[in-house]
Amino acid sequence: MIPFLVKRLAQAAVVLLLVSVIVFALLHLLPGGPARAILGVQATPEALAHFNHQQGYDRSLPEQYVGYLGRLFTGDLGESYKLNQSVLSLLGERLPRTALLAGLSLALAAALAVPLGILQAVRRGRAADHVLTGVAFLAYATPVFFLGLVLILVFSQELRLLPAEAPQADSVGGILADAPALVLPVVTTALGIIAAFSRYMRSAVLDNLGEEYVRTARAKGQSGARIMARHVLRNALIPLATLLGLYLPTLFSGTLVVESMFNYPGMGLLFWNAAQASDFPVLLGVTLVVGVATVLGSLITDIAYAVLDPRIRSVP
Amino acid sequence: MTHPLLRIEDLRVEIAGRDRTVHALDGVSLDLAPGDSLGIVGESGCGKTMTALSVLRLLPPGGRITGGRILFDGTDLAAAPEPVLRGIRGNTLGMVFQDPLTCLNPTLTIGAQVAEPLLLHGSLSKAEARSRAEEMLRLVGLPRPAERMAHYPHQLSGGMRQRVAIAMALICEPRLLIADEPTTALDASTRHQILELIDDLRERLGMALILVTHDLGVIARRVDRVAVMYGGRIAERAPVRRLFTTPRHRYTQALLAALPERATAGRPPAGIPGLPPSLLTRPTGCRFAPRCGFAGDRCRTTEPDLAGGEHSFACFHPVDPAVTRTDPAAAATDPAAGLRAPAAPPERSDEPLLRLSGVAKTYPLRAGPFARRRSGEGRAGEISAVAGISLTVRRGETFGIVGESGSGKSTLGRLIVGLEAPTEGTIRFAGRDISTLTRRELRAHRRNVQLMFQDSYAAMDPRMRVGAVLREPLVIQGIGNKAEQRRRIAELLDDVGLPRGAVDRYPHEFSGGQRQRLGLARALALAPALVVADEPLSALDVSVQAQILRLMRELQREKGIGYLFISHDLAVVRHLADTVGVMYLGKLVETGPARSVLTRPLHPYTQGLLATVSPPDPDAAAPGTPLSGEAPSAAAPPSGCRFRTRCPHAVALCADSEPPVAEPFVAGHRVACHLV
Repeated sequence: MIPFLVKRLAQAAVVLLLVSVIVFALLHLLPGGPARAILGVQATPEALAHFNHQQGYDRSLPEQYVGYLGRLFTGDLGESYKLNQSVLSLLGERLPRTALLAGLSLALAAALAVPLGILQAVRRGRAADHVLTGVAFLAYATPVFFLGLVLILVFSQELRLLPAEAPQADSVGGILADAPALVLPVVTTALGIIAAFSRYMRSAVLDNLGEEYVRTARAKGQSGARIMARHVLRNALIPLATLLGLYLPTLFSGTLVVESMFNYPGMGLLFWNAAQASDFPVLLGVTLVVGVATVLGSLITDIAYAVLDPRIRSVP
Repeated sequence: MTHPLLRIEDLRVEIAGRDRTVHALDGVSLDLAPGDSLGIVGESGCGKTMTALSVLRLLPPGGRITGGRILFDGTDLAAAPEPVLRGIRGNTLGMVFQDPLTCLNPTLTIGAQVAEPLLLHGSLSKAEARSRAEEMLRLVGLPRPAERMAHYPHQLSGGMRQRVAIAMALICEPRLLIADEPTTALDASTRHQILELIDDLRERLGMALILVTHDLGVIARRVDRVAVMYGGRIAERAPVRRLFTTPRHRYTQALLAALPERATAGRPPAGIPGLPPSLLTRPTGCRFAPRCGFAGDRCRTTEPDLAGGEHSFACFHPVDPAVTRTDPAAAATDPAAGLRAPAAPPERSDEPLLRLSGVAKTYPLRAGPFARRRSGEGRAGEISAVAGISLTVRRGETFGIVGESGSGKSTLGRLIVGLEAPTEGTIRFAGRDISTLTRRELRAHRRNVQLMFQDSYAAMDPRMRVGAVLREPLVIQGIGNKAEQRRRIAELLDDVGLPRGAVDRYPHEFSGGQRQRLGLARALALAPALVVADEPLSALDVSVQAQILRLMRELQREKGIGYLFISHDLAVVRHLADTVGVMYLGKLVETGPARSVLTRPLHPYTQGLLATVSPPDPDAAAPGTPLSGEAPSAAAPPSGCRFRTRCPHAVALCADSEPPVAEPFVAGHRVACHLV
């Protein structure tokens, strides 16, 4: 198990280095370079040259990359052009909020999708299965922004049960304290995931119920419920683990829409505002975070695999 | 029998599918006394497994018991509610399934799985259950049981997993063990060990046994009584010795005649024409009538009842015991079979068609930038699949390759066909080294050497019609125009005994035997000089096996094809092969004329292999010293003689140097052993 983890971590480090190369390249692929992007079309050549020299953009690319990497390691992601704040401190402020939203949504999704998937598999072909399948497809096919609007209309405007704006507190604790305001953003983010996960769970459970080890367990005298809990569940969670890792980056882009809709001051909203203001250091900083999240997602998948499936653990 | 442990009365089972219902069992009656053992045999699809599964009420989805009773120790299992069944399953009634690779949960430890029934049925604490489980694992012969408790199924070999499955079934000391084809997926030596184990445990625990198998050799010396099933009914029921010496039902007689072990040079094994009934409708009359050479009008209209005492059978034209006593296979379904003149030996020349010298194939153990190189002796991190094989196959000859799984048989086949290149050594076909062939020449070479697979179905594109499957090799090699190709395909179908209309059908519409005929037709499409047949008969019932065997021989005689016949089944090889090579861990340990090698084996491995065969004869002499243990990994083969770790006669010399090849007694019979 330990060598397996060490190996996966080493691989993750290599991928992260590649992510930094790509982000660095993106910076230099901007039309006219970062100077033109920041100073605007009206800037004089002298102003551009001065800016480039000041920022070190006139040096050779490898030299610049090494400098960029060095700054990355010291946590220097540059300064926001518009917000007069370092990118690092901006991310430090926003990332926990987005992570909270994403984490709560994912937890809600997993908590609901696993039992729903099992229920559908056990009741395969019966009314409950058909109804849940229909609902799942509807939820999956509905765009997040539309879903959010419908939820706001119903629960906030009509029923007046929940606020339409997300908590505005600065700290995670403050956000959690305003739980009712958190319900709509979390549910909006989670619904599509619940739909997808429950479909996967349903087919994974069905596959496993057809396996011979289930028949063996029945031949031992196990009851249906205990076979599900003791034998099938763990095997059926293996494909779900892949999905979980793959969903992490998707989740971040999903929160972009949800955060702007509910005015939740997270990373998604930061990205949205920065994109409109051509605030490149911020955009690149967020891109880097999403890149890291992607790598972490696959690392989590690998670890979850190894925990669930002993066959993978023993392959060095 | 006053108090049967199990009594099945007129059991009927139906399996409802999407749009059809299979009448899987139609009036099965059986009884079994405590401690008694019963074998259930028959072709696949005859209801053997369904009978076994109904007893535990573990029928597949859609299956249900529609009539009859299953009295086990006084309880009617057919009508018992689920909680009662759960109390019996795994407790007083244990079951072992066919495939040890899939019947264990891959994510639970061996210890947890073996202890599970104890925790369900006993009142033991977890620790007590674990120590009982460990004891049980020791009893089933799992080496280092304490350590194995924490292992997962994938860390064990197939034979070891089957031992674990047996431990699981027996841990509550059941009164009845039902074993459904428990050794079908295993190698001969492992099969022998597992059957011995079941025998031994049955005696120790005093339990009754139902052994379901398609292999008559498995039951011959291991059960007291046998029930032969056909078409969802019992055709014949008799004490084992009576059944083998004086079968009365024509179906039993035909099954016995299909055995390669019972065949002689003059009388090839006789297949049973046709297929078992599909059971979609309940047939009128005797279910075997359409395939029976003796069936009369009465057989087709009236269903015979199972009649008689200890030896009962359901047949209107039973075999006359006076005839069969002398030679049970004398008058089988095909009355001409016994009279046919001995097959003329196929045309053969001394011209070597294929010559392998020092051929070796190694695979790197792992690849990729993070691969860890395992350090060991010699070349580290390699699997030595084939190690220095030299052999010659002459034109029109059948060369049989035998050995356990993992011995490198299939790799050798792939090397010869040219699917893979050897790491060392040369393969010469018709005098030319195939490694020197250009791309175009290699394509031409492939016409001459064709491969026939164990699972022809898996080897065919399921979305291609048979016509397209057979045309493909002709198109690839650019042979003939459309009309000529069509003619050639019709010819091929005639050759392998399939109707010409087969061209418009898909592979899944054919039975296992017919698919194997298609596989042969495809291999023959390009009129090759050599067909490499990799376990072509292993997936087939004996009745069908005999048909394919006969077909292969006929085609050889007509077309002068050479076969490289890879098989683990010594009886089949004995019947078909002119020359035999015995492989162990990538080495050819013994080779020579089939008769000489298989009747007077020189190498201890060949001797051990022959001793593991269970002949379908209850009176056969107990075999010599069968092989024990399992073959070591090809990633770390033993030094010197690779067989020495399992050899009962090994001495120090065997570890030091590789044995030279000698030809001590019979010309052409070569052996690689220090001790011969």
